[in-house]
Amino acid sequence: MKTAFCFDLDGTVTKQEILPLISKEVELHEEISLLTQLTLDGLIPFQNSFKLRVKLLSTIAISTVAKVVDKVLLDQHIVDFIHANKDHCYIVTGNLDVWVKELIETRIKCDYFSSEADYMGDQLLGVKNVLDKGKAVKELRNKYDRIVAVGDSMNDCSMFQKADIGIAFGGTHNPVNSLVKLSNFVTFDSQSLIRILQKYK
Amino acid sequence: MKVKNAVICAAGLGSRLGLDTPKCLVKLGKHRLIYYLLDILKDVENVRIVVGFKEEEVIEYVKNIREDVVFVRNPDYSSTTNSYSLYLGSHDLNEPFVTIDGDMIIDEKNFKIFVDAIDVNEDLIAITKAKTEDAVFAKIDENDFITEFSREPISKYEWSGVAYFANFKMSKSGQYIYQEIEPNLPLKSVLMECWEIDTPGDLDLVMNEVSHIF
Repeated sequence: MKTAFCFDLDGTVTKQEILPLISKEVELHEEISLLTQLTLDGLIPFQNSFKLRVKLLSTIAISTVAKVVDKVLLDQHIVDFIHANKDHCYIVTGNLDVWVKELIETRIKCDYFSSEADYMGDQLLGVKNVLDKGKAVKELRNKYDRIVAVGDSMNDCSMFQKADIGIAFGGTHNPVNSLVKLSNFVTFDSQSLIRILQKYK
Repeated sequence: MKVKNAVICAAGLGSRLGLDTPKCLVKLGKHRLIYYLLDILKDVENVRIVVGFKEEEVIEYVKNIREDVVFVRNPDYSSTTNSYSLYLGSHDLNEPFVTIDGDMIIDEKNFKIFVDAIDVNEDLIAITKAKTEDAVFAKIDENDFITEFSREPISKYEWSGVAYFANFKMSKSGQYIYQEIEPNLPLKSVLMECWEIDTPGDLDLVMNEVSHIF
């Protein structure tokens, strides 16, 4: 049985939320952190909150953001699993392509689905398309018999609904309750997470 | 530790106990029941707990005791049995595992008796002196092999709810765990003392007989 593994990025593969990290570059850390928390708690929809957060951070040059993102802490156990199975692992992130592309390509090294930025040179203009994570899973259906999804937030719900196995992972913070309700497994430790993934290889 | 995997089934309502809380969260002494189970399983690498009724409370309590537990969800806990929970918790393991009901109390000494009796490639069923109201009695031959299960009092021992499964898989549609074991009989057994909390009477009994644990 051919299995695809789909990982959320922020707070799942990364041990820090990326947008609050970027916001330290401009003096908007508190504001972005608050918006991020409200989104994680499912109090405001990801789409709106993400567009707003991008707007707030759009004054920072894309290359500056990429440099910050490149330093983000990753969960080594998950990264090792992805490296060992890179042809069947996918990052499925609501984050912007121009911000996370380099991180994924150079450090995580697998294929990805992300939101798309509207930009001109090094200047971010806005969000062209916010990724519907369920659509990413649907796309992978053609190539795989089984899809395993790993995530922690509200915007992972559509991915879990379309996947065969959902693992709510509380590596950085508690997974939101709505996602837990759509999951088969819940765990807070990345070695335990990998132990489950190995069973579905 | 020769036991690598353990599956605790703690999804049920525990309606006979009559508390609005999962049985594994019943307070016994300083801690809640599942604390003591996790304590005897502390050297087991992979511990899975099947959760259902008030799962968020179980998850919240357990993760503060042992962060690396894997919770397996049984959203249909109110219309399914322990056997189905054990299927969910074990069907993808492909490795031997110990199963324990999430409403049991076992002390370290008795769990050691069980673990010492395990031969890693063979199934082992723990039996205990029959004492529960709806016991599943286990007939034992001269070599300590279980030859038969029955709801009728055919022996002074009952199926305890603790077992080591090395060679067979739970089916998805099983009614009771002992019925899943049945086609594989005869199987080796080991006698140990353990307590199950099904009714308020059981709770009193445990508080009196096993207070040394708490």
